[in-house]
Amino acid sequence: MNLPASSIPISSGGHARERRRLAPLLLCAPLLLLLLALLVWPLTHLLWQSLLPTDAPDSGITLRNYLEIFSVPRYRHALVWSLELSLAVAAGSTLICLAPAWLFTRCQFRGKRLMRGILTLPMTFAGMIVGFLMVILLGRSGFIPQVLERLTGQPLLSGISYQFPGLILAYLYFEIPRATLTLESALRKLDGRLEQAARSLGATRWQTFSLVILPTICPALISAFAVTFSVSLGSFGVLLVLSIRRFTLLPLEIFTQYIAPPTDQGLAAAMSLTLLTVAFGAGFGLRRFARSREVANA
Amino acid sequence: MQPNRIIVLVFALLTLAACPAFAAKTVIQYDCIPNYANWGGVTKAYQKKTGVKVPPDMKGSSVTMAALEAEKKNPKADCAYYNGAIGFQAASKGLHEPYKPKGWDRIPAGLKDPNGTWWTVHSAHVAILVNTSALRGKPVPRSFADLLKPIYKGMIVYDDPRIHGTGFTFVAGVNAILGGDKDLNAGFNYMKKLDANILKYAKENSYNELLRGEIPIWINADGNGLKAKHVDRAPIEVVIPAEGTMTLPLVMGLVKGAPHKEEAKKYLDWLLTDEAQHLMAESFFQPVMPVKLNASLQAKFPPRSAYARAKVLPLDQLAAQADVIKKRWEKEIEGGR
Amino acid sequence: MPRKTGFIFCSTVTIILMIMILLPLVVVVLGSCINASLLGLSTDIWSGSRHEIFDFSAFGYILENYGDWAVFSLELALACVVLCLLIAVPAGYTLVRHPFPGSGLIEELAVLPLSIPGLTLSMGLLAAYGEIRGPLLVMAGHLLYTIPFMVKVVTSTLRSFDVGRLEAAARSLGASFWQRLFLVVLPSLRHAMMTGALLVFAVSWGEFNVSFLLNRGQPQTFPAVLYDTYTNQSIQISSAATTIFLAIVIPAVVAIQWLGGRESVDVEQGA
Repeated sequence: MNLPASSIPISSGGHARERRRLAPLLLCAPLLLLLLALLVWPLTHLLWQSLLPTDAPDSGITLRNYLEIFSVPRYRHALVWSLELSLAVAAGSTLICLAPAWLFTRCQFRGKRLMRGILTLPMTFAGMIVGFLMVILLGRSGFIPQVLERLTGQPLLSGISYQFPGLILAYLYFEIPRATLTLESALRKLDGRLEQAARSLGATRWQTFSLVILPTICPALISAFAVTFSVSLGSFGVLLVLSIRRFTLLPLEIFTQYIAPPTDQGLAAAMSLTLLTVAFGAGFGLRRFARSREVANA
Repeated sequence: MQPNRIIVLVFALLTLAACPAFAAKTVIQYDCIPNYANWGGVTKAYQKKTGVKVPPDMKGSSVTMAALEAEKKNPKADCAYYNGAIGFQAASKGLHEPYKPKGWDRIPAGLKDPNGTWWTVHSAHVAILVNTSALRGKPVPRSFADLLKPIYKGMIVYDDPRIHGTGFTFVAGVNAILGGDKDLNAGFNYMKKLDANILKYAKENSYNELLRGEIPIWINADGNGLKAKHVDRAPIEVVIPAEGTMTLPLVMGLVKGAPHKEEAKKYLDWLLTDEAQHLMAESFFQPVMPVKLNASLQAKFPPRSAYARAKVLPLDQLAAQADVIKKRWEKEIEGGR
Repeated sequence: MPRKTGFIFCSTVTIILMIMILLPLVVVVLGSCINASLLGLSTDIWSGSRHEIFDFSAFGYILENYGDWAVFSLELALACVVLCLLIAVPAGYTLVRHPFPGSGLIEELAVLPLSIPGLTLSMGLLAAYGEIRGPLLVMAGHLLYTIPFMVKVVTSTLRSFDVGRLEAAARSLGASFWQRLFLVVLPSLRHAMMTGALLVFAVSWGEFNVSFLLNRGQPQTFPAVLYDTYTNQSIQISSAATTIFLAIVIPAVVAIQWLGGRESVDVEQGA
C-alpha cells in the first residue's frame, strides 16, 4: 500500500518510458518555476537586503542589522515577548485542545460534525478579526463587562482585552482549530486497543494514562505544539487592533517599520529573517523530534 | 458536479459586477479618514453633487508621505491631506505638483506655499477631548499639568506621532507651550511623565472609541471633539488646556503624476468653495476661507478668548526637524526605559 | 464506565470552547443590525436612530464604499482557485505517481510557505519585486500561500488509494498517458479538488498580512475593509463588515467539513 509509486511493477516499452520521463516533468514545471520565482528568489533577496546597512548600502556586507535587534532594548524585548507569548499560547492550546481532539476521535455521538465545524471556524480568520472580537466581548465597554455590570453593579472584567490575559485569549481563539485538527489527525493514527489491553491487565486509570496513553500521544502533542508555536510567532494582527501599551511583538515591529517612515529596510529584513529562522527552526526541529518518537514507539 | 457549476456561475457574475464598479469616476485622496474633520460627510456631499467618488483612506499624515514616496514612479493617489508640518515636508521632497486652486488669493499668506505645492484647507487646535461618562466621576482635567495626576492612570491616549500628523503636532509643540528651549527637553520630560498615565499611543483614529468611552481622554483636534459633542451628541467636553495650545493647520497638495489629474483639480477647487468650507465648519474645523457662519454655529465654537494663548508653530522648522523628533520620540517615549 | 468521566470532561471543555468561539460572533452579527444599546453594548451612535430596533444602514455603507473591494477580493480568491488547480493538481500527481530525482525536495518546498510567517514572505516579495507592488504582487503572494493547501490535499488523496493499479488497468486496455490522466486520475481526484478549491478560496478570502503589505492604492482585499472599519468606524459598521466577511467564509468552512469528513487536512496557515 505504501510502496513508492515507481516500484509498482508496470511493464513499459522504450517509447512509453520516454513519454513517462518527459510528460511528468512538464506537469511539474509550473509549480517548480512558481516556487523558484516567488519563494526562493525573494528570500535570497531578503537575505541580501538584511546584510546591507540601509544608510550606506555600498559599504559592503555586515551583520550590523542583526546585532541591532539584540542591542536595542526595544527590539530585544519584542523578540523575547514574541517567544514567551508563543510558548504560552502553544502550550495552552495544545493541552486544552486535547479534549476536543480526543472526543472527536474516540467517541461517536450526534452533532459531532457540527461541533467540529464550529471549532474549526476561526481557521481562516486573520488575527485582526480576533482582536476586534475581543474588543467587542471584553473591551472597556464590551459585551461581557456590560452584562456583568447590569447583574452585579460592577463592570467586572472590563478592559481585559487590553491586558495580557486578553491577548492570550485572543491567540487561543485562532489556535484552537489548528491545535484540534493537528491533534485529531495524529490521534486517529493511534491504536485504541493499547489502552484497553492495559486496563484489562489491571492498570489503574492514572497508570494507563501516564504509562500508555501519554507516551503514545507525545508525538501528536509535539507536532500540535510546533504548529501553534510557529503560527503564533508570525501573528500580530491581534495586537494591531488591541495595541497594548508598552507591549510589542517582533512581527508588529517589522510592520511598523514598514508602514511608518522613516523605514529602515535592512533592519526590517533582518528582523523578518530572524522571525523566519525561529519559527521554521522550531517547527522543523520539533517535528523531526516527534517523528523520531513515533518511530521509537512503533 | 453541482458545486462546480455554482463556482462558474459566481465567477461569471462577479466579472459582470466588477465592470461598472470600476467605471465610476474617482479621485483618490490619501489620508481621507471619514471621522477626521468630517471627511466622510464632505466626500459624500461631493459625490452627491458631481457623482465623483472619493473613497475613504485611513493613512495618517506620515504614512501618506511614505506611501507617496514609495509610489513616486507609479503614483496611485491624486491628492493628499496632511497636518501642516508633514505636508510641508512632503512638498519639499518634491512629491507634489504645483497647483493653485480657484480662490487661491483668498487663502491668507503663510497658510500656503507661494508656488502652490501646498495650501491650507482648514485648521484646528490641539485640545484635550474628554468623555465625561467614561471618567466615572473623576474631575475633568483642565490643563496639560492636570493630565499628569495619577487619577488619570490608563485613561489618556494620543496618536502615534510616527503615523499621525495630529500626534506629531502635539509631540513637537508641547515643548513650546510649556516654555521649553530649542532642545525640546521640556516637552520630552513632560511626555515621559505623561507616559505613566497613557492607555496607548493610537496607531488608528480613535474617534469612535472616544464616543464609546473605550478611551476616556484623547489629545486630538478640537474640531473632532466639538463634532462628537454637537453633532453626535456624545457626553464629550472639549478642553483647551490652561497652559495654551497650538494651531494645527491642515494642508493639501496635488500629487505629482496624479492618475486622475483633471478630476482631482476640480475636487481641490471645490474644497475651497463656500459650500465645502461651510461643511467643514459644520464639523468644527476652522475654514481657511473667510466664510460667513450663522450665529448658532458660531456659538458652538469655543470663544476666541480660549485660544488667546494658542501658539503658531513655524511649519518649515517643524518639517525640518520632523524625522529627528519622531526618532527621538520612538527612542525616549515609546521604547524608553 | 471508565470512559464516562473522560467523556464528560472532554465534552465540557469542548462546549466551553464552542461558546468561546460562538459568543463574539453572535454579538457581532446581532450588533450589525440591532441597536447597540439594546444589546447591552455602550453605543457610539449617540444621535443615531435610537428608537428603531433594526437598522441595516451599516450594510449599505459598507457596500457603497467598499463594494468594489469585496468584488476584487472575491475575484482574487477565485483566480487563486483556478491557478492552484491548474498548477498544483498536475504537479501533485507527478510527485506521487512519477517521482524523479529531486521530487521530494519540490514537495517539501511547495508546503514550506505554510511554516514561514506571512510577513517574512511578503517582505521577501517586496524586496525582489517591489517595482510591481500592486494587485499582481498580491496575486503572487496569495498563490504562494494557497498552493501548499492544494498540493497537500492532492498528494495525500493520491497516496490514500491505489491509483497506480487503476492506471495500470487503464494502460493494459491501451490508454495513453494523457488519456489515463484525464479519464482515470482526474475523475478520481474530483473530491480532493473540490476540498482543495474551497480551502484555497477561504484562505485567500481571509488573508490580510500579505495583501496589506503587497497592495497599493485601491481597491484592497476585503480584510483590509475590516481593518479600516475596526480602527476608524463605529461598532455597527465594523460589525456589518465582519458579518459580510463571515457570510462568505462560514459556508466555505462548512462545505469543507461536509466534504472532507474522511481526509483531514493539516492546517498551519498563519493568522
